Amino acid sequence: MNDSHEQLIVRELTKEFSIAAESLPILAGVNLVLNRGDALAITGPSGSGKSTLLYILGVLDQPTSGEVIQFGQNPFELSTKQQAEFRNQNIGFIFQDHHLMPQFSVLENVLIPTMVYQGATSDAEDRARHLLERVGLHDRMHHRPAQISGGERQRVAVCRALINNPRLLLADEPTGNLDRSNTESIGKLLLEINQEQNTVLICVTHSSDLAALFPKHQGLRDGLLVTETA
Amino acid sequence: MNQSRFVIKSLMYHWRTNLAVLLGVIAATAVIGGALIVGDSVRASLRQMTLDRLGKIDFAVTGHRFFREQLASDLASAPDLPAEIKTIAPALVLRGSLDRDKEKQHLRVGQVNIFGVDQRLWSLLEHQDLPPPTDNQVILNSRVAEQLQAAVGDEITLWIELPSAIPRDSLLGEREEQSVEITLTVQSILDESSKAGRLALMPDQQLPLDLFVSLSTLQAALDLDEIKASRRDPQSRPARVNSLFFSSDNETAATSYAAVQTAEKLEAALKGALKLEDLSLKMAPNEQFKYLSLESEQMILDPQIEQAGMAAAKSLNLSTSPVMVYIANEINHPQPEKQPDQQSGFSMYSIVAGVEFSEKAPFGPFTFLGKKPTLPLKENEIVLNQWLAEDLKVKVGDTIQMRYHVVGSRGELPEVEKAFTVRGILALDGTPAADRKLTPDMEGITDADTFGDWKQPFPMKLDRVTDRDEAYWDKYKATPKAFVSLNTAQTLWNSRFGNLTSLRVSPLPDQSLTETANVFGKAILKNIDVLKMGLAVLPVKFAGLAAASGTTDFSGLFIGFSFFIILSAIILIRLLFKLGIDRRVSSIGLLAALGFTPQQVRQVIFKEAFAVILLGGVLGIAAAVGYASLMLYGLKTWWIGAIGTRFLFLDLTATSLVMGTLISVLCSAFVIWKSMSELKQLSIRSLLSGVSAPESDTKKNARRVGYVYKISFGLALLLVLLTVSGLVPQKEAFSGFSWQTVSFFLVGTLSLVASVFFLSSRLRIESAIPVKGTGNAALIKLGIRNAGRFRQRSVLTTALIASATFVLVSVAAGHRNPAVETPDKNSGNGGFTLVAESSSPLIYDLNTPAGRAKTLVNVPDDPSTQQLLKEMKVVPFRVKPGENASCLNIYQTSVPTILGVPQEMIERGGFKFADTPGDNPWELLNQPQEDGSIPALGDMNTLMYSLHKGIGTTVGIPSDERPEHELKIKGMLDGSIFQGVLLISETHFQQLFPEQSGFQYFLIEVSPQQATQLAGILETGLTEYGFDADFVSNRLANFLAVQNTYLSTFQTLGGLGLLLGTLGLATVMLRNVVERRSELALLRAIGMTGSNVALIVLAENAFLLIWGLISGTLSALLAMLPHLLSTGADLPWESGTLILAAVFVTGMLAALLAVADAVRSPILTTLRSQ
Repeated sequence: MNDSHEQLIVRELTKEFSIAAESLPILAGVNLVLNRGDALAITGPSGSGKSTLLYILGVLDQPTSGEVIQFGQNPFELSTKQQAEFRNQNIGFIFQDHHLMPQFSVLENVLIPTMVYQGATSDAEDRARHLLERVGLHDRMHHRPAQISGGERQRVAVCRALINNPRLLLADEPTGNLDRSNTESIGKLLLEINQEQNTVLICVTHSSDLAALFPKHQGLRDGLLVTETA
Repeated sequence: MNQSRFVIKSLMYHWRTNLAVLLGVIAATAVIGGALIVGDSVRASLRQMTLDRLGKIDFAVTGHRFFREQLASDLASAPDLPAEIKTIAPALVLRGSLDRDKEKQHLRVGQVNIFGVDQRLWSLLEHQDLPPPTDNQVILNSRVAEQLQAAVGDEITLWIELPSAIPRDSLLGEREEQSVEITLTVQSILDESSKAGRLALMPDQQLPLDLFVSLSTLQAALDLDEIKASRRDPQSRPARVNSLFFSSDNETAATSYAAVQTAEKLEAALKGALKLEDLSLKMAPNEQFKYLSLESEQMILDPQIEQAGMAAAKSLNLSTSPVMVYIANEINHPQPEKQPDQQSGFSMYSIVAGVEFSEKAPFGPFTFLGKKPTLPLKENEIVLNQWLAEDLKVKVGDTIQMRYHVVGSRGELPEVEKAFTVRGILALDGTPAADRKLTPDMEGITDADTFGDWKQPFPMKLDRVTDRDEAYWDKYKATPKAFVSLNTAQTLWNSRFGNLTSLRVSPLPDQSLTETANVFGKAILKNIDVLKMGLAVLPVKFAGLAAASGTTDFSGLFIGFSFFIILSAIILIRLLFKLGIDRRVSSIGLLAALGFTPQQVRQVIFKEAFAVILLGGVLGIAAAVGYASLMLYGLKTWWIGAIGTRFLFLDLTATSLVMGTLISVLCSAFVIWKSMSELKQLSIRSLLSGVSAPESDTKKNARRVGYVYKISFGLALLLVLLTVSGLVPQKEAFSGFSWQTVSFFLVGTLSLVASVFFLSSRLRIESAIPVKGTGNAALIKLGIRNAGRFRQRSVLTTALIASATFVLVSVAAGHRNPAVETPDKNSGNGGFTLVAESSSPLIYDLNTPAGRAKTLVNVPDDPSTQQLLKEMKVVPFRVKPGENASCLNIYQTSVPTILGVPQEMIERGGFKFADTPGDNPWELLNQPQEDGSIPALGDMNTLMYSLHKGIGTTVGIPSDERPEHELKIKGMLDGSIFQGVLLISETHFQQLFPEQSGFQYFLIEVSPQQATQLAGILETGLTEYGFDADFVSNRLANFLAVQNTYLSTFQTLGGLGLLLGTLGLATVMLRNVVERRSELALLRAIGMTGSNVALIVLAENAFLLIWGLISGTLSALLAMLPHLLSTGADLPWESGTLILAAVFVTGMLAALLAVADAVRSPILTTLRSQ
């Protein structure tokens, strides 16, 4: 399947940070092509640029050079406003810290992405309930984030990432704060959803256990992606 | 889930932060709305005070002219009287002084308003049915009673100027008996709340000094009562008053602009009801020569009357003959050298007439004995009558000498001599030269049987009066003995009161003199201008209400006073909001990450904030009412010196409440929107990771900071040295600011910049405060080093505190106490020690022994007193009373009191001027103006704040609305004793106000040690004039009390603002702590106690607070150094230190919030969560 409208294509992607008039390269020309349904785990030591790569793919940060084509669209050619809409409609992001808003219930947190673009809100609540049931939180819908466990919060974050049917699902250390059993549970959940929703799933992690669950596994070394062997 | 639900949930969840923002908005609304309410309340109170003090009086005529009391009744029945006028009350309104002996004390009160009233005026005042004053009884208002310590039944003495038909400083004016002493018994006392006791025609919120006496009693005492014709005295005389008060039954017509039209209609009706005697005029028929003579009781015809008379005669086609007569003390014929043995001929006290020799009857023809002279006569030519020619033994062509008095400016009557050449000798009997009516009747002179019977207007040399003189007087009375041309008479005996003693007119054809007098009289009255005659009808209630509306803008004033509270509240709102944002910055990042556009993110947050702001604005209305009530209470108690009245009440208007809310909401919304805009600078990733503000730093910046503070401090020091050494000029730099003011601001700004940049520089250098050692000292150092963590934030907060402190200390340092100032010619006291005012004018010069001898009584005869009187230097000023335009009066004034400055004062110079050119700006008063205006000087405060005028602007006299003359402001005195008045030259004064005789304002040079003694001597010796002396320093202190009170108000409210500002600092500390929770948790994890952490936080807070307070204080003291080194500077150290200490304590207490946050967070959770 080589239709670029169904692919995530990354070409010669670089990212440098300037610190005290000195340039610090983080990504040195990353190349990557993933199709819908693909699931990739990226591992690497701290400071290797895993999260930076993920944030660029999530259109939360700008690359220094190179090209990112997501489903036929280079999001960095869009205006800030268009980028926001693109993010909302095409990308689901799962953070290590889950970033749930404490003032809202579980259900409401999941619904937040549906607030801004009318097209996404028609059956939003049903879908949110369905997603929460799907991740086993049907009895936690009206709880506040502070009233549920870390694993449950991360599952809420997964539901929030999926609420707008994204084509690209990005997970940044999604199990970083979880125990082994929750890690496995979340990992499996992500992969199941990847298959069910036919998304492109990229997960950066330190956890070899989690990475092992993924059909594709690459490491980030010296700013470049290299294939890891099991 | 929609945005509304999102907003409501967020509002409730972040209730603590939102509550803090809410309180900030309430504070801002309270202060802004409260200030507006204060302005409304002061205006409404002044309006009410106007209505109270005037009672039912809507219009008034009052002035120097005494007219028939009957005019009130005549006017009431006039057909053209406006229908809404229901009551017309005649009255006497005068100024006088009171004294009373109580035990061993002699109590005096000067400048008292004396109202001679009867039931008609009394019924227009509000006094709870108190009966009007009966004969020889008096009603006092509370202020007078208090100052005299008088109670009902006590006897008091009233000194009041006797009205004089003939101006006192004219040749025939009465100089000796100027005042009358009336002993009265106190009938009742009007308490402070009595509205009648506040009666005053000029707008002033301060309680006046009022006295009410029966109209008939006052008329009798002042010789203004009615005299009915009797067989012994066939001359009748009507009772006279000088004021009319009108009451209308149409409130709108009296209080709206319609009042001006009603006043005009009233003026027209008044003009129609006037009789010649209301203008002190009479029409004397001369049956012998068949003409009418228009004469004045003043002995001189007012130029207005002269013009009206000429115009009337012209309109009736009557021929006229103007006449000017004068008394020659002596006319003699110097004996030719060839006949030294013969006695020189002379004649004493002859009347000389200036006429235009007419060829036609009834004013001519004159019959000359011998050769008829060439007419008109030249300046030094004279014609004698036959009698005088015989007395002097002169013939045509001889030279004679005439001696006569001229009137000096200080009441002196120097005798001058002039030579004339005799050009003709007139036949006397049966000719117009024998017309004794050429001289107007004057009681005590023209009706005297002999010279010895004259009521001497000046010291006469009766021993020189010859039998021939007496014989002439016996036969011809005041018939002129000599004639000059009218021009010569007017040149020699020129007077500011007029240039004619009579205007003769021929009778109408085929009509009697009586009929002609009737027609001519009406024609004259038709041609007069009642305004120029001092009979203008004033819409006093409307004018008072207008003055109340145009008062000092107390809204603006209190917004200014509360500036720091408003600023602090707004900054606090911003800081609290930012604190809230900091705590949820990752949530904001999350929204962006989830696809909210930056605008949508800001919208959601702003909606939440705006709901809080709006609620704060609404709740702030109640707080605004509370704040305004507090400020009004302050004005009535703590700051009573600013306005001097307790009659203030709260007046709420919807406009002010809405405006206050609107301004506060908009300001808060603006700062919040701006705060949110700053988030745009951060990437989503930064937001997600909790970063809320970027910090940037470079070595280049550090170097720049170093240069800035060094250069700023150097320049500030240099400017201070230049100012102290007098090298910075006082003259205007631009837009009304002097170079010294510019220097003050520059020094202040430079030193503040230096201190703040120095702090910034220290915070950059890690080695500046090395963290080492153990114990509390080390922890304090650690705390101070922490101030460098968010350096920009620390520096900005310190700058705010330093700026607020700078303003507060500068304002405090601006306090002056003139009581400690010594006389200095170039200061506000002008080198004078005493200032005095008199209720009755003084004619004579107190600087001369002769003047003192004529004026002062009961002066101790000891040498030291005589020496003191000899050494004092009195500068007298003529006074045209007007409104009090000093800062003591908060009504809008338009026509202030005007002082006539004598030439010796102009030459003397002195006083401090602002932005006025010339070495001696007083000389500007003598500079003729191209546009015909009259140059004037005024005090800067009076001009800028009361009259709203500046240099080059004009003030209309008698008013801007109906200007007869224009005064052009040529210079401004700075902080002078002349607050509340305008100054013009004495020459101009006499042209403008000829009716004002003598002097009523005095500045006296005397050593401060002898001033009290001199004041006592003068007050006692001049009791009948109501002379009241005071220290110039006291008077200046009274003026400055207002300024100092305003400064205190600003200082107090500014202090409150600074207190609020310290809460801002506490918020910053809280922000710092929130952002550094993990660091602080770590410190505790490694073994520090909660107290240790608290000490670190408090040390940082104290360091910034102290830095701000000290740098602000030092900058202010440096900038104010030139003022502090001047005399009279009075820095209120105690209150200033107290405010700064309160600020420090509050700042430290508020920081405990941050401490609590730092200490309470659980160590492990905090460490893990970060």
